[in-house]
Amino acid sequence: MDIGRILAVSKRVFIDLKNDKRSLALIIIAPLFSMAVFGLAFSGEVENIGVIIVNHDNGMDIPVVGNIDFADQVIDNIDHDTLDIQESDDLATAIDSLEAGDAWAVIYFSENYTANTMASIIPFTNASSEIELYIDMSNVNLAEAIIIEVNSALMATMEENGGSLPVTVERTEVYGQNAEFMDFFVPGIVSFAVYLFTTLLTLMAFIGERVSGTLSRVLATPLRESEIVSGYALTFSIVGTLQSIFMIVVGILAFDVMIEGNILLVFAVVALLAIVCQALGILLSSFAQREAQAAQFLPLIVMPAFLLSGVFWPLEAIPAWLRPASYFVPPSYSITAARSVMIRGWGLDMIWMDMVALVIFALVLLALAVISLKKKG
Amino acid sequence: MLAVKTDKLTKNYGDFKALDGLELQVIKGEIYGLLGPNGAGKTTAIKVLVGLLKKTSGTAQVLDAEIPNKQIASNIGFMPQETAMYIGLTVHQNMEFFGKLFGMSKEQIAIKEAELLKFVDLEDWKDELVQNLSGGMKHRVSLACTLIHEPDVLFLDEPTVGVDPKLRANFWKYFNKLKENGTTVIITTHYMDEARNCDRVGFMRQGKLIAEGIPYEIMKDTGTDNLEDAFLHYATIGETSDGRMPDGGGVE
Ligand SMILES: Nc1ncnc2c1ncn2[C@@H]1O[C@H](COP(=O)(O)OP(=O)(O)OP(=O)(O)O)[C@@H](O)[C@H]1O
Ligand SMILES: [Mg+2]
Repeated sequence: MDIGRILAVSKRVFIDLKNDKRSLALIIIAPLFSMAVFGLAFSGEVENIGVIIVNHDNGMDIPVVGNIDFADQVIDNIDHDTLDIQESDDLATAIDSLEAGDAWAVIYFSENYTANTMASIIPFTNASSEIELYIDMSNVNLAEAIIIEVNSALMATMEENGGSLPVTVERTEVYGQNAEFMDFFVPGIVSFAVYLFTTLLTLMAFIGERVSGTLSRVLATPLRESEIVSGYALTFSIVGTLQSIFMIVVGILAFDVMIEGNILLVFAVVALLAIVCQALGILLSSFAQREAQAAQFLPLIVMPAFLLSGVFWPLEAIPAWLRPASYFVPPSYSITAARSVMIRGWGLDMIWMDMVALVIFALVLLALAVISLKKKG
Repeated sequence: MLAVKTDKLTKNYGDFKALDGLELQVIKGEIYGLLGPNGAGKTTAIKVLVGLLKKTSGTAQVLDAEIPNKQIASNIGFMPQETAMYIGLTVHQNMEFFGKLFGMSKEQIAIKEAELLKFVDLEDWKDELVQNLSGGMKHRVSLACTLIHEPDVLFLDEPTVGVDPKLRANFWKYFNKLKENGTTVIITTHYMDEARNCDRVGFMRQGKLIAEGIPYEIMKDTGTDNLEDAFLHYATIGETSDGRMPDGGGVE
């Protein structure tokens, strides 16, 4: 391998990218756009969920203390930004509204709510108190938010009254104190964008080289297949790093994403990923005869990464039998590593496994890319 | 003193014999014209000789080295039939890139580039993107890139397609100059008027060389007074109704 020829190829690919306004737009604008869309859509909490409260609780008169009313306290403890509360006296009317789609839930306190609650605190009784929840599960996200809100209001009420639940959960945030959706999303979308654009750009560039005949032309010079692949790898690892720097800077400025660990590690991981992806692009190009066929590869490139890389939802959310497939999706390693570095503050000692996986991918795919170029008619 | 020598060279695409026992001998320092109808195997022969296609059987040597051989790549210049330029790069950037592939220094490239751009008359287009050039202009850039490293053996696959007559005359002047400096030129063309400028021409058909000689002799052999008629003679000789050559129809 001759370093001069590798640099010549690398520089040529750079110039090609720089002169092509389309790929520039693809590298810069598309990731920004996706960050803006997801950032705005997901970073806010759910708010103003319409619910109807029917409170029939009579409270309870206790000597010395006076009248206590647990239902009122629970209602006070509900976050009125999250739930947009309407009051109603009649349960049947309220349920009608729910069924008409005018509210997402009806929260019902019976006449004896306070009394039952008091009774249930006394040991050895079988009494129980219940808040009845009628809920529209057609939107799972909203329904879950309502359930969580009612539960936490209930717990807060218990604590205020000196009573505590027999079983409580004590939460200590080991990693990611106050982490929000964007803290989870930005490290993922960086790798996803680099994966997508590096693979696509090399695929298109290489189909172009095959169709126009430049590939065979340069192979008739002293240039070797391995030098072409190295030149492309050099350029795209630099472009991938620049792309990730750009996205992370935007993430910090616009969404204040947390960076607990050494950000250079993230760039190293992304650069590795870019090398894997350009080799993948070259390899795929050997299956295409015409430029238009690049589009046919799009689903093949996008879908596995979209579903199995963990960028939009955790791998735990896909069926267990499908999960091992994510081992074959290179961005899943860099996404895991980047999240661990940025949110958990992990160092090389913790993420080296992911890096080794990417290095293995890189070596195998680079070798296959060289072999695919050496294949002659 | 042979620059190119092939012996029973064959190249199959599946069952199809694109080269069928080609016997080609090109003497060092001559301009050799490879003629023949579309599909005769001219491009295939050149691609095998520059190492882009694997031969099926037979032997082939370029500059006394059995091909494929990367060692001699720096002594060879190859201009493909398709333009094959990086259209997203300027003329200058293309030439610089090819120069670097041959290990030339920036200074060497600059000197050679100036000379070649003058020869192909594109000095004013140096910093234009190749995609903005006309077809003939692209072809001229392609030729300039092929010549940048001063190769000993030149394989030019239809270098003058789409080039206007004035520039074509220039091209031939330049080829003759290269020849004087000892360069061997193997050129394919469908323009018979320029084939006359070759020292020798070989006539290919269905993967074989069926006639060879200096242009004057070829015309004499076929009883014609121009190469155009000689071409027609060889292109149709012994043709059967299905358009294929009868067995043993090859002439040495
Ligand atoms: N990749 C390929 N697969 C199958 N057949 C091929 C392939 N490339 C060329 N051929 C066939 O080989 C034969 C020789 O083609 P070649 O390009 O060498 O012809 P040529 O003499 O250069 O013709 P032209 O004057 O049109 O350039 C043709 O019949 C062509 O169809
Ligand atoms: Mg041809």
